[in-house]
Amino acid sequence: MNNKNTDNNENEDKKTPLYDKHRNLGAKLVSFAGFSMPLYYKSIIDEHLNVRNNSGLFDISHMGEIIVKGKDAGIFLDYVLTADISSIFPNTITYSLILNENGGVIDDLTIYKFSNESYMIVANAANTEKDFAWIHTQMLNLQKTKTDNGQYMFQNVTVENYSEKIGLLSVQGPKSRNIIYPLVEDISDNYGRDENNFCNIFNFQYNIKSLKELNHFEFSCVRFKEIGIEAVISRSGYTGEFGFEIFTDADDVNKLWDYILEHKELSNLLPVGLGARDTLRFEAALPLYGHELDETITPYDAGLEKYLSKNKDFIGKEALEKIKNKEKKLIFFKLAGKQIPRHLQRILDENLKPIGCVASGTYSPLNKMPIGSAYISDSNVTPSMLKNFYIDIRGNFEKAEVVMPPFHKIKK
Amino acid sequence: MADNNKFYFAKSHEWISPNSNNIYNLGISDFAQSELGDVVYVQLPEIGKQYKKDEKIGEIESVKSVSEIYAPVDLTIKSVNSKLNETPELINNEPLGDGFIAQIELNNPSDLSLLMDKNSYESFVKSNHE
Repeated sequence: MNNKNTDNNENEDKKTPLYDKHRNLGAKLVSFAGFSMPLYYKSIIDEHLNVRNNSGLFDISHMGEIIVKGKDAGIFLDYVLTADISSIFPNTITYSLILNENGGVIDDLTIYKFSNESYMIVANAANTEKDFAWIHTQMLNLQKTKTDNGQYMFQNVTVENYSEKIGLLSVQGPKSRNIIYPLVEDISDNYGRDENNFCNIFNFQYNIKSLKELNHFEFSCVRFKEIGIEAVISRSGYTGEFGFEIFTDADDVNKLWDYILEHKELSNLLPVGLGARDTLRFEAALPLYGHELDETITPYDAGLEKYLSKNKDFIGKEALEKIKNKEKKLIFFKLAGKQIPRHLQRILDENLKPIGCVASGTYSPLNKMPIGSAYISDSNVTPSMLKNFYIDIRGNFEKAEVVMPPFHKIKK
Repeated sequence: MADNNKFYFAKSHEWISPNSNNIYNLGISDFAQSELGDVVYVQLPEIGKQYKKDEKIGEIESVKSVSEIYAPVDLTIKSVNSKLNETPELINNEPLGDGFIAQIELNNPSDLSLLMDKNSYESFVKSNHE
């Protein structure tokens, strides 16, 4: 037997603060985005189904946090990112792309607005350094550029990479509130709602909202009972389920991990690795940078045009306006057979002519079948007309069928 | 004579074990299945076909990876474990039992001496993977 895909390049990899916890839990560790990360603890399928039915705890401390502060932070981010940033409410999160001048996607991100002067960008682990360098360079260039009326703008902005200072956990699944609510002392109980408060993790002023009143893509600051650890908690995730993402000081994240696991019976919680994180995000049809997105793919190709603001100018906008037609079209499909499609395998039409490539392919634990996404690059093909097509899986032509995602909501 | 509880292992992590007459069961080791994770598909070898040692006889696909199964010795496939078509997870649950892949005949019975017994295989795994 020869396992082709396992990467055992652990020694050169960075570790999250929870590395020893993963080892002690017997996780299968793999190299991902330069980090040694748990792929699974016992079983990808069991961990996946437990998130769909109960809840799961993920270490996603490998992800990057970039802090942008100052009076001009909002207008600066409006220019560097595609979504409207300065005009969103404090305590809300927005999803955005960051584009190069050609309209190619440098990364996809979430942005947390603490106040008009303080924002946190959460970046993909593999892209954090690249994003930080890009944002920082844009800031320096803009600060040197005189406007038409002879003034310098963007003078009051700072950009800092906080990634190594922050631990990030995610609790996902329909029962995740059953474990989070009882463990959290809601700071909002003790403070006035409009009062500004101080978040020690980021040295930010921020507004407090009650944890139980948070809607999807809203956040607040909380303190965990007994362990007394302060955290920024958001109603967000990457699984298609109800859930939370919890940012804390990197030095506190081991204590928080243990505290949550000690109470796992409250929500039948299991630790979950990156294997199930990928199958969960893919069933929910959430894009993954490097698969559905990269610098050669435009937001139109990826079907993400709703994240391009019409209200402002941003880097990449001019290039996108010149694009008349989509160069590629993203489709989602399921397979009748059992072999799993993999990244970059060829898509063939009914005459076995290549028309595109697999973006993501995996096994759906919920539907118990192989599923995938693909970019169709043949401009003569319209996805709705695709009837008989095949995936070239190592020389086997496996019949596929277009489906409307998300896969976890498909009625059987 | 071969002992029915005896397993012979290859460095490529397949095993064979005497079943009856000259028939041996063939499968993959517990270590191999634990490295693969959840098995979701097995491409079984061709019945009646002869394979040379180290030749690819099939594939095992898990959620995250694909692995080839190699012939641990020169062999002929007599039958395959078709239960794996519906329940590939047998490889995870009982790698040395009901999760076997095929029944085979040895083309050269003396090839058994090329394989490791359980203890030697376990120390081989330990020294190479820990």
